Amino acid sequence: MQHSALTRGIIICHCCEKPASIKQDGQTCPRCGTHIHRRKRHSIAYTWALLLASMIMLIPANLLPIMTFKSLGKGDPATIMQGVLQLLEHDMLGIALVVLTASIIIPVLKVVGLIILLLTVQLGWTTNMRQKMLMYHFVEWIGRWSMLDIFVVAILAAIVQLGSLASVTGNTGATAFAAAVIFTMLAANCFDTRLIWDKHLEKLEVFP
Amino acid sequence: MTDRGLASTQPGKFWVCPECDLLMNRRAIPHQHEAHCPRCQSLIVSSKRHSIEWTLALGIAGLILFFPANLFPILTLTTLGLSQSETIFMSVTALYDSHLYAVSALVLMSAIVVPLMKLLLMTYLSGCLLFHKPAPLLSWAMRSYQQLDSWGMLEIYMLGILVSIVKLVDVADVTPGIGLYSLTGLIIVTLLTSTQLDRHRFWRRIEQLERR
Ligand SMILES: [Zn+2]
Ligand SMILES: [Zn+2]
Repeated sequence: MQHSALTRGIIICHCCEKPASIKQDGQTCPRCGTHIHRRKRHSIAYTWALLLASMIMLIPANLLPIMTFKSLGKGDPATIMQGVLQLLEHDMLGIALVVLTASIIIPVLKVVGLIILLLTVQLGWTTNMRQKMLMYHFVEWIGRWSMLDIFVVAILAAIVQLGSLASVTGNTGATAFAAAVIFTMLAANCFDTRLIWDKHLEKLEVFP
Repeated sequence: MTDRGLASTQPGKFWVCPECDLLMNRRAIPHQHEAHCPRCQSLIVSSKRHSIEWTLALGIAGLILFFPANLFPILTLTTLGLSQSETIFMSVTALYDSHLYAVSALVLMSAIVVPLMKLLLMTYLSGCLLFHKPAPLLSWAMRSYQQLDSWGMLEIYMLGILVSIVKLVDVADVTPGIGLYSLTGLIIVTLLTSTQLDRHRFWRRIEQLERR
């Protein structure tokens, strides 16, 4: 029989993992000084809020231009997708795939993954638990890599400053895109994976 | 429920998975270098030999590498007799000049401030733990390190450099500088630090030192 620590009256500090009695719920951890809670507080509500914020930011992030590459005075602002297409035109398939993955595929996968996890908790789905856990760790790990395009804009804007010959400037789409990335990272941080297992245990206890 | 009282009075006898809250007997966890949770497969124990010695050495090496990585040019672009070099800080100022203030602050944090803070915290922390020196702010340092961990993004900055090089190859000559080699070293050091860090041992040592 599997037990969750919570039903046995034990909670652990989510910062340093020191076990504490359930009576200490809401008090500070004697070891690291953070507040101990049985589960991350308002996990579902915060995760949804941050996820919605990032979904909203992804719209301007993809529609607004993120950088302008001017060569000999010519060049228009380009969105993320136009940047990928430009790379394809110059036969740089590999790098186009890297940018496409980091900037478009990963943000969408993160949002879909977190929605599935939130629904898992709210609707009490108890199938494929290990796959869901893997999915969470993947979402958590991959989130930062979407910052790639922001760094590319920053590096190009710094180095391509050759006066009228060639220049790169960043555009407002970059702000929206960076905000979307930050919001999904925070959303993944707010999600408490123990909630999906709590449902699993509840079902085991009802139908042993 | 007799277990309820038992478990909370004997903290050394059990182990809780932080990811799925599974309660385990301490003895059921093998004394390997790594152990995974039997229910959710998350890594729950990752003990390293000489963890503290390693993180101290890596922290010092990282602090040494931090300066050339930030002071020397990373890339130099040359075309038609014109040339332009780039350091990490210049990519921050370039975004500032493009009026992207929030993004430039974000790049400043994730590529310069957080990596430096992480190195300083880890060097201070492992230095104190290695020499058993009770010092102020030890648990604060460890907590901050854990919170900052995913916000240092040097390896992603590095991928950004590679993408930029490929984008510019047709346009101009791009030559790597001392900064790029130092940055590579710094990234290796940062990655090694996070694999060599044994969080549980660090927290136990901090607890011992602060109790004195
Ligand atoms: Zn704690
Ligand atoms: Zn587990």
